[in-house]
Amino acid sequence: MELTLKSETGFDLLALSGEVDMHFSPKLREKILGTLKDGKPLLIDMAQVSYIDSSGIASLVEGFQTAKSSKLPYGLLNISTTALQVLTLTRLDKIFNLYSSAEQFKAQVTTHAGAIQ
Amino acid sequence: MLKSIENIGAIVISSLEQTGRTFNLLLIVFWELLQPPYRLYPIVRQMYFIGARSLTLIIVSGVTIGMVLGLQFYNILERFGAVDLLGAGVALSVIRELGPVMTSLMVVGRAGSSITAELGIMRITEQVDALECMAISPGKFLIAPKLVAGLLSVPLLTMVFDFVALFGGYFVGVYMFGLPEGSYMNGMTDAIEWVDVRLGLVKSVIFGLLITLICCARGFYMHLGKAGSQGAEGVSSVTTDAVVMSSIAVLFSDFLIGALI
Amino acid sequence: MSTDNSQRNAISIRNLVVDYSQRRILSDVNLDIPMGQIMVIMGQSGAGKTTLLRCLLGLKKPTSGSLHILGTDIASASLREINKVRIQMGVAFQGGALFSSMSVAENIQLALREHTNLDEKTIEIMTRIKLDMVNMLPAEHLMPAELSGGMTKRAALARAIIMDPKLLFFDEPSAGLDPSTAAELDQLIITLKNTMRMTIVVVTHELDSIFKIADHIAVMSNGLIIETGTPQQITASTNPEIQGMLNRKPRETIVDTDTHLRRLTGGV
Repeated sequence: MELTLKSETGFDLLALSGEVDMHFSPKLREKILGTLKDGKPLLIDMAQVSYIDSSGIASLVEGFQTAKSSKLPYGLLNISTTALQVLTLTRLDKIFNLYSSAEQFKAQVTTHAGAIQ
Repeated sequence: MLKSIENIGAIVISSLEQTGRTFNLLLIVFWELLQPPYRLYPIVRQMYFIGARSLTLIIVSGVTIGMVLGLQFYNILERFGAVDLLGAGVALSVIRELGPVMTSLMVVGRAGSSITAELGIMRITEQVDALECMAISPGKFLIAPKLVAGLLSVPLLTMVFDFVALFGGYFVGVYMFGLPEGSYMNGMTDAIEWVDVRLGLVKSVIFGLLITLICCARGFYMHLGKAGSQGAEGVSSVTTDAVVMSSIAVLFSDFLIGALI
Repeated sequence: MSTDNSQRNAISIRNLVVDYSQRRILSDVNLDIPMGQIMVIMGQSGAGKTTLLRCLLGLKKPTSGSLHILGTDIASASLREINKVRIQMGVAFQGGALFSSMSVAENIQLALREHTNLDEKTIEIMTRIKLDMVNMLPAEHLMPAELSGGMTKRAALARAIIMDPKLLFFDEPSAGLDPSTAAELDQLIITLKNTMRMTIVVVTHELDSIFKIADHIAVMSNGLIIETGTPQQITASTNPEIQGMLNRKPRETIVDTDTHLRRLTGGV
């Protein structure tokens, strides 16, 4: 699994590629929680993810819960059909905020930023 | 006629197989214990089950035996005019013999039988298979903690037994028969030497290992026994076996150790 | 042929023979189980299904033959190598085989604790995800003794899939379940195959389940696989024994009246 964290305007974009399995999910978890701790909204780009197991999903879920309690926007970008199937099986498809473009997320971020002001 | 010889032969063979398996289990577990990861918590937990649960029984039987010894020794020593040897008599018999042996027999009944039953039930309900299929070694996960706990608990329990038994003897000698307190205590401290304590210690460690090993092996290898002895009846039968064999092993090795050390 | 198929087949069994104290339990079993499919191994009691399953799980070493699972021949492999394969396998035993001294959650998590370094929180979430999949979230902290038959089976399934295994084995999944719970379980098995791309091996004799979930069926009798095929092919089989199994007819032993009478009365 490859992880790239980019700073965009108002939020962080975490791009994942490859297979997210039990070996790599701790790294993913660390990155997600670290970013949220810094108070930045987080969008996770899943377009290049070929496989994600339940440890990876658990990290995404934990991130979501943490973001929610810190009232930070949090979303998954361009999730593949396979990954979506897995989320549906675990009834998480309705819970996550799923986006098909970064602009959609940006809109959420601006609203959120406006709200805090 | 031939049939009875066959039967005897079969019994001898199966007993040898069982002994071999039991010893083999010890080697397997010893090997597994050397592999990481090393976990302390399961051992502590087993020490609680084996040790702490037996504590009341040990204390009660210890005091009682001490009192009985005090009584009987006094009777005997009085005939020879040597009642001031009471302390020595009680102390030496407890520390050298009765402490290790009685403690082990109590533990066999209290903890050993439940270990056998637990492992036996796990075996017949496929829990052991489930562990193996999860790539977890049953030797390391189930048996090793019990063995280590037995090895540590029995000597500790023996010390408790010794202590309360000596007190029991003291109680009888001083309060029942009016022996001067100093006489009992001095008799005790004069008579006991390091070799006695060492003997008691060695016995309790070996007994602890033996009884835990035998009880574990009987339960764990239940499925290799006679075909008819599975299920609930099988569990009850291996549990009885385990108690009998462990007790015999304790008594027999008690003699051996005493003769060799 | 076998090495070529090992990519497409999760399991390849060749010439498997199992003898036990002078009795031949399995004679020359050959079977391929393709990746991502549900294979049902069916047969009457005593046909050898359980022994075959135990060989597949590495619990019984066969007398001869090869058993390639995900590339490794476990019939000749060392325990270490077998364990490497086992990490990719999940097993749901007939009685559940839950560890009686641990709660449902602890049962499910055990493999994670032993084989991974995942964070406590991650383990907790993964456990709950699997519990939710089998509809057992409220039972998280119950002890196995407090579970009903259906709950036990579901907890055992959650435990079997905790590490997202590639290969899943079921030993009589519907045994002891009422029809609606059995149907739910069947549906779950199908969903697991579809969504999580698992290869699933089910050993059973429950006809209703078999035809609902099987992609392939292998019929066993007397230690041999007498026929393999799709459910349609098996239903259309001309083998009288198979037809007998399917029509739920009790095994008929054609015996003449004299012999039968003698058997009943112990002879004259």
